[in-house]
Amino acid sequence: MLTKSDFAKAFARVADTMAKHKDYLVKLDQVNGDGDLGLSMDSGFGALADCAGRSDETDLGRFLMKCSQAFNEAAPSSLGTIISFGLVGMAKSLKGKETASREQLGAALDAGITLIMDRAGSKPGEKTILDSLVPAKDAFLACPGDDLKRCLEAAAKAAASGAEATRAMRSVHGRAAYYGDKSIGVLDGGAEVGRLIFESIAKAGTDI
Amino acid sequence: MKKIMNKASDFARETVEGIALAHAGRVAMLNDDPQILINAQPVKEGKVGIVTGGGSGHLPVFLGYVGNGMLDGCAIGNVFASPSASKMEAMIRAVDKGSGVLLLYGNYGGDNLNFDMAAEMVDMDDIKTATVRVADDVASAPNDKRNKRRGVAGMVYAFKIAGAAAAKGHDLETVQRAAQKTCDNMRTIGFALSPCIVPEVGSPTFTIEDNIVEVGMGIHGEAGIDTAPMMTADEMADLALEKIESDLELNEGDRVSVMVNGLGATPLEEQYIVFRAIARRLQNRGIDLYMPHVGEFATSMEMAGLSVTILKLDDELAGWLRAPALTPFYTSENK
Repeated sequence: MLTKSDFAKAFARVADTMAKHKDYLVKLDQVNGDGDLGLSMDSGFGALADCAGRSDETDLGRFLMKCSQAFNEAAPSSLGTIISFGLVGMAKSLKGKETASREQLGAALDAGITLIMDRAGSKPGEKTILDSLVPAKDAFLACPGDDLKRCLEAAAKAAASGAEATRAMRSVHGRAAYYGDKSIGVLDGGAEVGRLIFESIAKAGTDI
Repeated sequence: MKKIMNKASDFARETVEGIALAHAGRVAMLNDDPQILINAQPVKEGKVGIVTGGGSGHLPVFLGYVGNGMLDGCAIGNVFASPSASKMEAMIRAVDKGSGVLLLYGNYGGDNLNFDMAAEMVDMDDIKTATVRVADDVASAPNDKRNKRRGVAGMVYAFKIAGAAAAKGHDLETVQRAAQKTCDNMRTIGFALSPCIVPEVGSPTFTIEDNIVEVGMGIHGEAGIDTAPMMTADEMADLALEKIESDLELNEGDRVSVMVNGLGATPLEEQYIVFRAIARRLQNRGIDLYMPHVGEFATSMEMAGLSVTILKLDDELAGWLRAPALTPFYTSENK
């Protein structure tokens, strides 16, 4: 069963990855965005990890809600707000629980991603973070057995191929949409963020 | 740039602090936070709360309508920038009296996302919210995409009418319906003559040529539908009615409230000249005028120009519009 400290460990791993990939994400975003992606993800996940490490809240829902606010304050960009919605969706799904099983984590991921799609009015195939998050979540839900580590690895793998697939897509959302057909051939920064999240969590899975 | 201020980065905060000082006892910052202004007067237990929010630079919108008979709270961002979801959340928690809170604000991307987020956050603690987004600017999208339109001066009517419904003791669903019904029956069109300056930018972010009117420009300088050579007040009135009526039918026997709203640098004299023209045209067609609103309601700092809003009333809406309201920037008594 997962507890708050497992989430805190995973968030710390993600924050570490974002810090290491800050310049990579900035460069990627400069191709057809405004270049702040690396900065906002670095500060957002840094704040998330910080909040998670300090929090004495044991209810997973309240813990995630509090830390999603910390993330949102530190990363108020569109993608930052979208990721916050994911955390809020997970928080509502885990409200009242102090531990989470693999199934409950899967349900929380599903709730988080559904809330993102609802609020952003977006779906996979539109060259966004959803193109890595949705395949990752699907792989996690479809993963048989109780081996959390193996399921997280399957999710990370699906996130990576999902992100790679955005290269062939045309942007329809945000500033990148102004580039239209010129966005084809370029990796989506948001989808890469999704890949980095799941890859970091899979690595954190070794500790959990 | 000539602006009377201290540091540009303090512009929004010092404005709110000034308002809290000038209208002490009527409004107050929540826990001394200059990004959240709430009604400081006693509010009946069980009254549905109504809150709004948005960037600075539009006074009296948004915070000027916090007070009895209108809004319970307003979250305030920097100039032309949305306040954060956590400010909105703190405000919603502060004004909830157990009957839920209506989130009533202009339809802009940042505000929409942040208010949605705040609604999710308070939902964790079972605080009920409902949302109405004001989208009255006819110039910002065609009629079949009305939910894409921007919210401009007409939002003051929505604040007034929803506020009256809440003060009467109606439940959240009814207050939401009152606000939505107002939005469905009103349209606005703006005319800009000169640009405005965002303090932290320091120079106009767009230009308007001399002798040119931007027809349909938004209150942040968003592009309009057309540019036209400078026109007379009567011609402006004709054009305003044409644009509004291509979207909202007006017939003999209808009763309407007309708002002529100065954008910041246009004298009241000019606003009344345009109002005169619109009033005469409507009266000649047998349309009744009810509680006209002339003056500055939603501005864009030093932008010159004005907007015209028409709200079609039935007895229910007229009753709520007539109900008493008093805030630092609004009174129902002189209308």
